[in-house]
Amino acid sequence: MAPKSIWNGTISFGLAAVPIKLYSATESKTVHFNEVHVSDGARIEHKRVCSKEGKEVPYKEVVKGYEVSEDEYVVLDKDEVAAAAGGRGKVIELEEFVPEGEIDPIFFEKTYYVGSRDESEPYRVLQAALERSGRVGIGRFTFHNREYLAAVRNLNGVLALHTMRFHDEIVHAKELDPPKPGKSPSKREVDMAGKLVDSLHRRFKPDEYEDTYREAVLELVERKAKGEELTPDEPEPEEEPDDLAAALQASLGST
Amino acid sequence: MPRTLWNGSLSFGLVNVPVSLTSAARDLDLHFRQLHGKDGAPIEQRRYCSKENEEVDWEEVAHGYDLDGKQVVVTDAELGLVQPRKTRTIDIEAFVDLEDVDPIYFDHPWFLLPYGESEGTLRAYRLLVKVMESTDRAALGRFVMRTKEYLVLVRPREDLLGLTTLLFHDEVRPTKAIAPGGRKPTGKKVDQAVKVIEGLAADWDPDKYEDCYRRRLQRVVRDKKKGKTIKAPEEVSEPKPAPDLMAALEETLAGMKG
Repeated sequence: MAPKSIWNGTISFGLAAVPIKLYSATESKTVHFNEVHVSDGARIEHKRVCSKEGKEVPYKEVVKGYEVSEDEYVVLDKDEVAAAAGGRGKVIELEEFVPEGEIDPIFFEKTYYVGSRDESEPYRVLQAALERSGRVGIGRFTFHNREYLAAVRNLNGVLALHTMRFHDEIVHAKELDPPKPGKSPSKREVDMAGKLVDSLHRRFKPDEYEDTYREAVLELVERKAKGEELTPDEPEPEEEPDDLAAALQASLGST
Repeated sequence: MPRTLWNGSLSFGLVNVPVSLTSAARDLDLHFRQLHGKDGAPIEQRRYCSKENEEVDWEEVAHGYDLDGKQVVVTDAELGLVQPRKTRTIDIEAFVDLEDVDPIYFDHPWFLLPYGESEGTLRAYRLLVKVMESTDRAALGRFVMRTKEYLVLVRPREDLLGLTTLLFHDEVRPTKAIAPGGRKPTGKKVDQAVKVIEGLAADWDPDKYEDCYRRRLQRVVRDKKKGKTIKAPEEVSEPKPAPDLMAALEETLAGMKG
């Protein structure tokens, strides 16, 4: 089935323009439940209720307010919120190209795939040039009335776009500053841990990891449907050993 | 101090390190509240039973699943029976090379902090940081938080352990349907495009980019509070693809030299 695009626009770099479409690159496969009332199994409905009147409020009477101080709201209508979107329209201008490995993926928020629109040549030129240069294009992009910082990169012969977090949205270690041990791990402990890491070293193959919990939840649902008695899956885990070196030694022995 | 979302233990062979999880990204978005237009009072979302039309407390809400047309109801307590160890322990299954994990799998960034102040915990935590720093490897593990299982990548970050939840492989869509058709572009056009890219090359410096949207929205709120009229900016028009791509690339390069 052909995927459905969610946005049409243009990527520009220099004076070149690349007509594109955006597609979702990810989808959640978490088991989806509906909220139900435990006593009668009936669906739960969410109602908007005015906190002053205690009565249900129809959607058309709802406005958006930003709290500027306690209980003081500034009400903005849709057009006023949209005014903050900026004037970029449907253009993603790649202003800079940075080395691919330099961006910590911690900055990447959501991923979209970029497809070509109309003629494919400009798209293929940009894709091939990004691949060859090993660089990622950085630009700004407006989507649903909101401006994002975005990175456009080559991914297996197509273009991917990541929306990005801003620097002040990233938490740094110095803000957390947890306590440090009185004594650093000994060389022997570091060596043993290193061996353990080596023995567990694998090539990352994403499809070797299935969401087994998803299957287990569905199994629980089926058992419940048959009226079976439900009991916990696994025994309690063993107690934690307090001798670090002994635990490492024992772990190495068991691999 | 930021909020702890979860605590449990990180298990590596037979070594268990008590840890807590705290977000490594903060939300600086401006959040709006729904208000009742008439009286400006905040709107509350309340749950009602669709059968009885009575308000339902959060404790009386269970999870309904549609199993081939038949509804099955399970409670939080019952969901808690599924793989209970995973709700308390991040089990490290393997160590992988960081460069093998494409960022497309990265979901949300967190910090893992040592939980408690016992010397044993702090030392075991330090040991994990040290050993991963020296190998450029990251640990793959999984755990369950709020009835969802996460595959996670644990790696040293700023001398602490950073954790990133990963998407499962079937949550990333295939790229096949996106791939463009048409002919392979000529080498010359790609050469010129690479030159344009090199001309616009820069180092990655995240501090350079501010969230202009957040600032504009703050300004809109301020102006509105003062009773000013808010005007939408004019949209730039979408550039048409140049009829001659080669000419556009060459003109760009000429402009860069000048």
